[in-house]
Amino acid sequence: MPEWTQYVRQHLPRVQAGPERENEIVAELALQLEAAYEEGIARGLTKREALAAAESQLGDWESLAREINAAEKAAPEPARANPLGGWRGDVRYALRSLRRNPAFAAIAVLTLAFGIGGNTAIFTIVDAIALRGLPYREPSRLVAVETRKADQPELESWTSALDLADLREHTQSFQSLAGISPIWNSVLTGRVPAERLELLYVSHNFFSVLGVEPAAGRTFTATEDAPGHAAPVAVISHGFWQRQFGGSPDVLGKPLELNGAPLTVIGVLPAGFRYAGEPVAGTAAKIDVYLPLSANQLAGSTRGLRFLKVVGRLKPGVSAAQARDEIGRLSAALSQQYASTNRGFTFGVQPLSEQVSGRYRVAMHLLLSAVGFVLLMACANVANLLLGRATARQREISVRVALGASRFRLLRQLLTEGAVLAALGGIAGLAIGWAFVALLVRTGPEVLLRTTPVHLDGRALAFTCAAVFACALLAGLPPAWRTVRSEIGHALRESARGLTGGHRATRSLLVVAQMAFALILLVGAGLLIRSFEHLLQVDPGFNPRNLVTVTTQLPASVQTSAAAVAIYKRVAEQVASTPGVVSVAAVSRLPLMGRNLGSWLYREGRIVPGQPGIDVEYRVATPSYFQTMEIPLSAGRLFDERDGAEPLIINEAAARRIFPGENPVGQRVKLGSSPNRSPWVTIVGVVGNVRHAGLDVEPSPEVYRPYAYSPLGNPILVIRTAAEPSTVASTLFAKVRVEPGMPAYNLFLMQDLVDRSTVERRFVMLLLSGFAAAALLLAAVGVYGTVAQTVAQRTGEIGLRMALGASPAAALYLVFRDGLRLTLAGMAIGGVAAALLTRLMRNLLFEIRPLDVPAFALASLALAAIALLACYIPARRATRIDPLTALRQE
Amino acid sequence: MRDVQKGSAEMIVLALLESRARHGYELAKLIESQSDSKLQFHVASLYPMLYRLERKKLVEGRWVEKAGERRRRFYRLTPAGKRALQDHRRTWREFVSVLNGLTGFSHA
Repeated sequence: MPEWTQYVRQHLPRVQAGPERENEIVAELALQLEAAYEEGIARGLTKREALAAAESQLGDWESLAREINAAEKAAPEPARANPLGGWRGDVRYALRSLRRNPAFAAIAVLTLAFGIGGNTAIFTIVDAIALRGLPYREPSRLVAVETRKADQPELESWTSALDLADLREHTQSFQSLAGISPIWNSVLTGRVPAERLELLYVSHNFFSVLGVEPAAGRTFTATEDAPGHAAPVAVISHGFWQRQFGGSPDVLGKPLELNGAPLTVIGVLPAGFRYAGEPVAGTAAKIDVYLPLSANQLAGSTRGLRFLKVVGRLKPGVSAAQARDEIGRLSAALSQQYASTNRGFTFGVQPLSEQVSGRYRVAMHLLLSAVGFVLLMACANVANLLLGRATARQREISVRVALGASRFRLLRQLLTEGAVLAALGGIAGLAIGWAFVALLVRTGPEVLLRTTPVHLDGRALAFTCAAVFACALLAGLPPAWRTVRSEIGHALRESARGLTGGHRATRSLLVVAQMAFALILLVGAGLLIRSFEHLLQVDPGFNPRNLVTVTTQLPASVQTSAAAVAIYKRVAEQVASTPGVVSVAAVSRLPLMGRNLGSWLYREGRIVPGQPGIDVEYRVATPSYFQTMEIPLSAGRLFDERDGAEPLIINEAAARRIFPGENPVGQRVKLGSSPNRSPWVTIVGVVGNVRHAGLDVEPSPEVYRPYAYSPLGNPILVIRTAAEPSTVASTLFAKVRVEPGMPAYNLFLMQDLVDRSTVERRFVMLLLSGFAAAALLLAAVGVYGTVAQTVAQRTGEIGLRMALGASPAAALYLVFRDGLRLTLAGMAIGGVAAALLTRLMRNLLFEIRPLDVPAFALASLALAAIALLACYIPARRATRIDPLTALRQE
Repeated sequence: MRDVQKGSAEMIVLALLESRARHGYELAKLIESQSDSKLQFHVASLYPMLYRLERKKLVEGRWVEKAGERRRRFYRLTPAGKRALQDHRRTWREFVSVLNGLTGFSHA
């Protein structure tokens, strides 16, 4: 009789357990061997036979050790008492089951990620541009007061100083009203190099109206802003303080020299402060220095000279509408009292936030609804995918129920799967959202996105995640509940085909909704693309190619017109002598830079006392301006070097408006706020219209005066080059600075200016197109998923039909009929909805109607094509069904 | 069906331990005699199975010395093991009824 324990030790490979446990196992196996051996001997076997029989019971030693090792690693059963225990296992299981279906997992996660990321990014941007409250104390009480010309409401609004005084005196609605005026030429002198600054004249109460406290020092007092007695004091921005004074705390009381005039710094504004109101034409969003309004030369001007922007704070409890009523009565009274200057003008009141972002609101709401649609589609898709998956897993679930899985556990498992999916989608969505915001801020229009810092919005992210999570869970719940609740036997029997009727109806509904949403987005994108196409075909009125511009400023020492003309000539000669430069000219304001301050024009023989003149845009240009810009001459002549102040050139719009059917050349007109004091000037030529306000704005009447009439303080040079201007551009700064202390700034290519004028439209168009493309993709996935599942479910039926002689074409038809029915239903609903909704985007369209037939037709075609493609793949599968295989499945 | 078989083997072992504690060799003999050796269940897999059940805390093994006998390892059901056996039994009944139903259905 062998020593059994020894025997087992010799034969059994090492077991992966502690030495004690191994001893136990060895001892137990030895007992088994011994007992079996003894039994063999008792049955009359030889020792050798008995040993062999006993050993054979245990199988071979290798696999026995393997099985024992596996058993020793088995995890204990989860405790039943804790219903929430084992969630880690659920998550692992969910991850495993997703890994088994990588296509499903990828589509679901990407769909969710796109929905979450896109929605969050767009909400962040829209919030930054249009929704976020203004960064001032009680911003809802801030209003902009605007003077509007009744018959030309599109003109930029400016208010006269005397009107502002009357507004202050005769209204009760406002706690205070502040006036703001930009400064066109301002150079920081007394420091090298001279720096051009952005300045605003503001009334002393400007900062208190906004509720802004200075970070250091103080703001203006009423005495410092007294009419005619402006104090030489300045409040500076935080950025300027850092830049020029290195953030030094003893900046207060330091001198500053602007255009040669000495000033004292009395206050520093907090970091990040900027005036958000209507970007006062021509000034940058970031102002460096603020001066008292009464220091403005225009401060004491007449009622006809409108040069102020007005911002006010309403008294507590007063609404903008009440203020509007009151101010309306006042403007009626003023136009009675001062008919010559105020007839035809009214005051308007609108919330300051409306003035800031009102013109973007339609576009922003459009984008917000577009991305909302995309989110809905993403949710629908995920719901659809989960429903499809639940159907496919019906049998698995039934078997697990039959084998003893508790229903609660199964439910929890299915929900965990939804949550895991949603979490993965959320993580990916966060990354997408972050990248998307970064991309938008980098490529989007500067005016919209780079004046305030834009960060991914946490609330938006949380909201979107919650929405999508809820959707994923809700989509997972009904099939899970249904499966788990149903009779198991029933489920097992039916799972191949049944139990899906309800799901199928839901899924079809989801696909129809997706189709409808997709069509709406496609039509919207189509309309914007077509508008943009029209816009790009608009002739700006000049040739922007090989044209470069740079602005300079004459030295403060230049006091007379003759000196100004002389120094401009030196600059022009210097630049013209640069190799590659064809011609040089100067103008007071570039095209596409928004409206200028206008003037009134009175035509000889048509002057009615007390009647205002015709509003015209007003520019000063050197003789070579029109050739350099390639603005065509349509009648008369251009300026020449011998011209004095008298000649005038008008554009075609002015010719049509003021001299309909007549030849304007040789006619005499007066320009200015009143006909009495202005001299006669003679029209010598008519030139083509230039789109000064923007490519999408019809040109308005305009006049050009010669340089000699009003030498420019800061001439904007336009330079035509023989070839690509970039190489010449680099040398221009040096060429322009003919005197020390002359700055050169705003150097850019004219083509960039043209491109920039379309950037907002391009931005909105590209975004909406992106959403439309995403919608198209989501719709395709939706249709594909539904149709593919139908084919899978009807494999038997199709196989039977084919066995009975139906052709593959008939099978194809069967499948297509299903897909097409959904597509057409969705497109019909979407088409009607789009026709209703596109009216809301009328303001965003350019030269097309909201019911543009090509846009609707192309959108429908694209959607139908992609839907057919999505049907085609499963349909082709249907034609390849082997009747025998299909029938066997039944 | 491997899982089902494993499940059923587990159920058999648990059932055999339901009335009283037994040692390994005894279990082996019982399975051999009661199942007419028809079940594909070897003694070879008995011990790993017992170890697995022990790890899962469904059974509990303990060395017992009786006077005049060898020291043996006796296994008995834990409360969790009793519940698991009940679950197994219920599931099994359902499964069998489903199978019956299915067979009935396929003949109909």
